[in-house]
Amino acid sequence: MRRSAARKTGQSNSTAPITSSATDLFRSASSKASSKEMERIDNLFYSYANRSSGLIDPEGIENLCSDMEVDHTDVRILMLAWKMKAEKQGYFTVEEWRRGLKALRADTVNKLKKALPELEKEVKRPSNFVDFYSYSFRYCLTEEKQKSIDIESICQLLDLVLGSHFRAQVDYFIEYLKIQNDYKVINMDQWMGFYHFCTEISFPDLSNYDPELAWPLILDNFVEWMQEKRT
Amino acid sequence: MSLPTKRSATATTSSSSASATANFPPMKKAKSQAVSACSPLDPSCNKNGIHHFSSAATADNDVVFDPSSMTLDDDPKLQDRSPPAAANLSRKKATPPQPAKKLVIKLVKAKPTLPANFEEDTWAKLQSAIKAIFLKQPDSCDLEKLYQAVNDLCLHKMGSNLYQRIEKECESHIYAVLQSLVGQSPDLVVFLSLVERCWQDLCDQMLMIRGIALYLDRTYVKQTPNVRSLWDMGLQLFRKHLALSPEVEHKTVTGIYAESFERPFLDCTSEFYAAEGMKYMQHSDVPDYLKHVEIRLHEEHERCLLYLDASTRKPLIATAERQLLERHISAILDKGFMMLMDGHRIADLKRMYSLFLRVNALESLRQALSSYIRRTGQGIVMDDEKDKDMVSSLLEFKASLDTIWEESFSKNEAFCNTIKDAFEHLINLRQNRPAELIAKFLDEKLRAGNKGTSEEELEGTLDKVLVLFRFIQGKDVFEAFYKKDLAKRLLLGKSASIDAEKSMISKLKTECGSQFTNKLEGMFKDIELSKEINESFKQSSQARTKLPSGIEMSVHVLTTGYWPTYPPMDVRLPHELNVYQDIFKEFYLSKYSGRRLMWQNSLGHCVLKAEFPKGKKELAVSLFQTVVLMLFNDAQKLSFQDIKDATGIEDKELRRTLQSLACGKVRVLRKVNAIQMKETVEENTSTTERVFQDRQYQVDAAIVRIMKTRKVLSHTLLITELFQQLKFPIKPADLKKRIESLIDREYLERDKNNPQIYNYLA
Repeated sequence: MRRSAARKTGQSNSTAPITSSATDLFRSASSKASSKEMERIDNLFYSYANRSSGLIDPEGIENLCSDMEVDHTDVRILMLAWKMKAEKQGYFTVEEWRRGLKALRADTVNKLKKALPELEKEVKRPSNFVDFYSYSFRYCLTEEKQKSIDIESICQLLDLVLGSHFRAQVDYFIEYLKIQNDYKVINMDQWMGFYHFCTEISFPDLSNYDPELAWPLILDNFVEWMQEKRT
Repeated sequence: MSLPTKRSATATTSSSSASATANFPPMKKAKSQAVSACSPLDPSCNKNGIHHFSSAATADNDVVFDPSSMTLDDDPKLQDRSPPAAANLSRKKATPPQPAKKLVIKLVKAKPTLPANFEEDTWAKLQSAIKAIFLKQPDSCDLEKLYQAVNDLCLHKMGSNLYQRIEKECESHIYAVLQSLVGQSPDLVVFLSLVERCWQDLCDQMLMIRGIALYLDRTYVKQTPNVRSLWDMGLQLFRKHLALSPEVEHKTVTGIYAESFERPFLDCTSEFYAAEGMKYMQHSDVPDYLKHVEIRLHEEHERCLLYLDASTRKPLIATAERQLLERHISAILDKGFMMLMDGHRIADLKRMYSLFLRVNALESLRQALSSYIRRTGQGIVMDDEKDKDMVSSLLEFKASLDTIWEESFSKNEAFCNTIKDAFEHLINLRQNRPAELIAKFLDEKLRAGNKGTSEEELEGTLDKVLVLFRFIQGKDVFEAFYKKDLAKRLLLGKSASIDAEKSMISKLKTECGSQFTNKLEGMFKDIELSKEINESFKQSSQARTKLPSGIEMSVHVLTTGYWPTYPPMDVRLPHELNVYQDIFKEFYLSKYSGRRLMWQNSLGHCVLKAEFPKGKKELAVSLFQTVVLMLFNDAQKLSFQDIKDATGIEDKELRRTLQSLACGKVRVLRKVNAIQMKETVEENTSTTERVFQDRQYQVDAAIVRIMKTRKVLSHTLLITELFQQLKFPIKPADLKKRIESLIDREYLERDKNNPQIYNYLA
């Protein structure tokens, strides 16, 4: 039961396992590095966070945005929130912050800014996009137990999230949403339905749309409206 | 020559002969001259020394000289080898004169015989001539000779042989000609021209032959029965061989009859009827036109029977039908069908049906029927203002159609289905209202006061109404209204006959199943039960001891589930009534524990004994009216507000009640009770809305039920299932709405991988 000399200097914990020094070194180095990084990330967080709540609030986000030279309504902020898996719109918790920045390997504003293009690409990957798309809806549900989003906000969200991919569909659908009276809010089912609509249905001819399938009713009405418009 | 008469003394006994003989010697010379004049070189003499006279006299009677009786030096026999006449004369001088011979004229017994091959040779000539005629070749023999040949043969009784041979000869040629036509030209027109040519040739040929054999024709043929003249024989042979060659015959006949006669005939017929059809269509109305067509067709049929070939009948009739009918089908239908249907013109419609049947136009007729029913039906159903009469109009309409179907359209099954489909369509054009009106119609029939309708009539009416009911898609609307009306009838005791009511229920049960009629039957049970309860209540101790006198009350106890829901209405009842209610309640609850009684004040009705200046009257009034009226026991005048405060009746209801009481004379009050019986518009709309609401629940329940069983189901299959399970009409869009609502409420979700599939969320 003789202990190694190195051990004697350091730990008093007698139950510490016996490991090789290289791994140990690595571990300590990486942990040191990561802890350094984490420290910087945390510091960054607290530079934007609200003192009393301990969260980054909308004001903080605005500041962050201006530092990154990105408009706070920019979709990339939303992407960032997605990366962070932020739960509440307009707020970042420290865990969320850590999660996001660590994944992006950014611990300074500059690095964060530089990580944005990569993030965009990542989001646009088909496997990720659906997730991002549904996330963006949930992100906007501000109230407890809220399930639907009002038309006005939906229009903005659609533009933000899908505008670059499906310009025509989004424009027409927004036009329709504004003039129809059947629905005052949109729910998640309809939201997702629209995405599938954009990816599957040929536009603007709508030739392969079948209202007898399980498309949400609002899309049936939208298609009808489009067809009437055309004649 | 001079005759010496003096020498007569020596030969007087045979004076005549002597004189004859005496005269002879000079004649000798003459005779010998005459005889010698007949030389063997003379072609008019034949071997027998007979002059052949070309006269018509018979051979038998020829006078002949017997040269053996002549004292002639010249012996005809010697003439063959005799020298020329001059030599005779010279020889005569040398011989002494012989005694005069007698010249006897004897008739020759033997007939002149024809040369051995006379017949054959003659025939050979004729045959070659006939052949030449048929082959259109020239012949060496001239006609005169041929004619003569025929004559000869006939004279020698060879007529029949000749005839037969001619016949045979002609036959072989005719046969050959016809054979040559076989296989010629499939084109009828060309063929016909070939046939025509042959025919012409034959005619010419036969004429020629007949000309040659005229003698034969005039003698033998005429004399022999059953032998045709040559001309006829030729025709006969032609016909015979034509028949033997079916192809030729067929082509010819078809060609001739079909081409030359039938076709132009049909064309003419066609034109004629086309023109006639147009004219008549314009001038006459449809029934007359149809009658006319019928007559014409009959005429054509007769015509074929009388004088045209049977094969023409079909095309002829078809032509007539086509021109008179087929071309005008749509015009006929457009112009006259509606009028005939409206006018219930059975006979005319029957005619139309049978005529259209002939030209296969029944489908057009059926379609016309369909649109007629739909159009007319739509007029009946959609006219708001005629709502009162809608049901009876529809019943009449249906009955009329049924009669027409039976009598004019000979119960055609397709037509029957058309009527059904059209009716179903038109009745459902207007959602809900027909169902409501049918319920109302039944209410009227089942309500008391329908004197004059026998039980049978009523049953009949109920059955007919049921037929209409069958067509309605939204049967639950009907049920809601029927229930409401039934409730009123039962509660106010206004049913004409409980049997009729029950009969209707059982009919509905047969039609729609027991689920449909459960509640209705429950209502009946409640009424029966209430009677019992009332009886026992009257007998009960509570009733006998505690009830305020002067009031008689009976109570209907209704099971909530069965009866329509009534909005609860509060009212401050007069004290006595309150007491009564409490006593009854006590009694009831003592009998049936665990139940809750709720008084439905809006349904109560009373009979009030009122004293008017003119006398006592009984008023049958509603409870609310009662309450209001009772107030006037204590006051002469009351303001609206006062009444309202005192009675606690809700505003709208109060107004209604007061209106019924105040707007009219006292007597009217009796009738006013009918307000309870009347439905307000609001009631109706709320009934309808309730039905729709109910439907939503049913759909939701159905979806959940189905999904719970299946766990996972595709959208299309779910929709199919729902359509099968739901008994009322619903649009797929509405189903989608309910599904989405259920997704929202997290009863189901869309499958993550396939949005067409739903998962049940437990």
